[in-house]
Amino acid sequence: MGVKAELGATYLPSEDIVVREIEGELIIVPIVSGIGDMEDELFTLNETGRAIWEKLDGRKTLGDIIGDLSSEYEASPGEIERDVIGLAEELLKRKMLVALRKD
Amino acid sequence: MSEPFISSASLHDFSLWKRMELKRLPFLFDLEITARCNLNCRHCYINLPAGDKAAEKKELSLEEVREIVDEAVSLGALWCIVTGGEPLLRDDFLDIYFYLKKKGLLVTIFTNATLVNAEHIRVFKRFPPRDIEVSVYGTSAGTYEKITRRPGSFAAFRRGFELLLKSGFNVRLKAMTMRSNVHEHHEIARFCRQRTHDFYRFDPFLHLRYDRDPERNREIRSERLTPQEIVSLEQSDPERFQALQEKCDKSVMPESSSAEIGQLFLCGAGKASYSISYDAMFRLCASLWHPDCVYDLRQGDLTDAWRHFVQRVRGMSSQREEYLRSCRVCDLMNLCMWCPAHAYLETGQLDAPVEYFCQVAHARAQALGAAERSSPSPRH
Repeated sequence: MGVKAELGATYLPSEDIVVREIEGELIIVPIVSGIGDMEDELFTLNETGRAIWEKLDGRKTLGDIIGDLSSEYEASPGEIERDVIGLAEELLKRKMLVALRKD
Repeated sequence: MSEPFISSASLHDFSLWKRMELKRLPFLFDLEITARCNLNCRHCYINLPAGDKAAEKKELSLEEVREIVDEAVSLGALWCIVTGGEPLLRDDFLDIYFYLKKKGLLVTIFTNATLVNAEHIRVFKRFPPRDIEVSVYGTSAGTYEKITRRPGSFAAFRRGFELLLKSGFNVRLKAMTMRSNVHEHHEIARFCRQRTHDFYRFDPFLHLRYDRDPERNREIRSERLTPQEIVSLEQSDPERFQALQEKCDKSVMPESSSAEIGQLFLCGAGKASYSISYDAMFRLCASLWHPDCVYDLRQGDLTDAWRHFVQRVRGMSSQREEYLRSCRVCDLMNLCMWCPAHAYLETGQLDAPVEYFCQVAHARAQALGAAERSSPSPRH
């Protein structure tokens, strides 16, 4: 169903959302129908989610991102990998993230 | 690092609203993209004829709208109410709409629904508005068109309204209640409640014209219900009556007792929202048209208006004895339509009492059994 995130793949935010930073908070505003469980929702990322999100730039693979975060945070690489994969899959499921084609 | 990364909140529970309000960040703005309307409603405070070329010429261009929206977003706007006149009258309505959506704004549209077409539906289905508020003037062609003064407008309303409902959008309904449709009030309420699960409200408070046109104002006044009629309609609507009771229980607005004695603005105008007219006039709220309270965005910019002009207006005060002794200290403030903006539209003064408002507030208080708590006594 396209919700499996791959370490070797690169991802970037979907064009169907707009990310706003207000009051230091990252807010995801869906602009098309079918994102989120209901139409009446806004989404926010916590500090961890935000740290990962900011690296999802369509250039780095998830593996690269895990490497970067491992040097920035004290958590173990295994824990960081779980977090990165977890968030990427969550965002893919919500259609907020898209995979870049490899070719 | 293990904790939930992404959380969702319904708009009602979104914690940021309160934080933004406390920090005076403007998260909401009204954008009147035209004053023109295809209808000619008797009670309307703004409508100009659809073919009014002079009014059309003064309207914000698409480019100006984009510039204002860019600035609004950079100041923190998260929600925009697109209104008019009739916003769908503009040929570039969808361009404006699409731009608002692309900037990450939640969009509410106020419309009479008569101009809704398949193209609007197609775009809204893909890029949904947060909600659409439709005005309902009657449930029969006779009543509806007595108000709109446009033959065929009832059929156009029903067609557009059904299109919106069938498409499953959040449609909120507002019924202005006045002399010409009060006989149909209960049918209108039933009609609305059968068709929207989201929201219905009726509003018997007819505002006077923004342009202060004396002829049109006479017409609006003649459409107003008496205080007793308003109260009896409110009593017949348990939900509304309960809401009124809750307001009454609060007695006065919390901040009014601590505000400086002559302070005029005790409301939320300009605290977290503002309004922009079709001809680029910035105001703290849509009704605030006193010449000292409007800022021409064509001569300045939104950031300056928000950061400096709003403070100046909110700092305005009054020394008028009549105001200081009556409205400013009235226990029925929360039951009254009075505010500096409405006072100006009614009297030409920001700080003059308005007899009709006073009568309605006292009739409401009496109905709520609060008359004995009302002091000072009625002024008129």
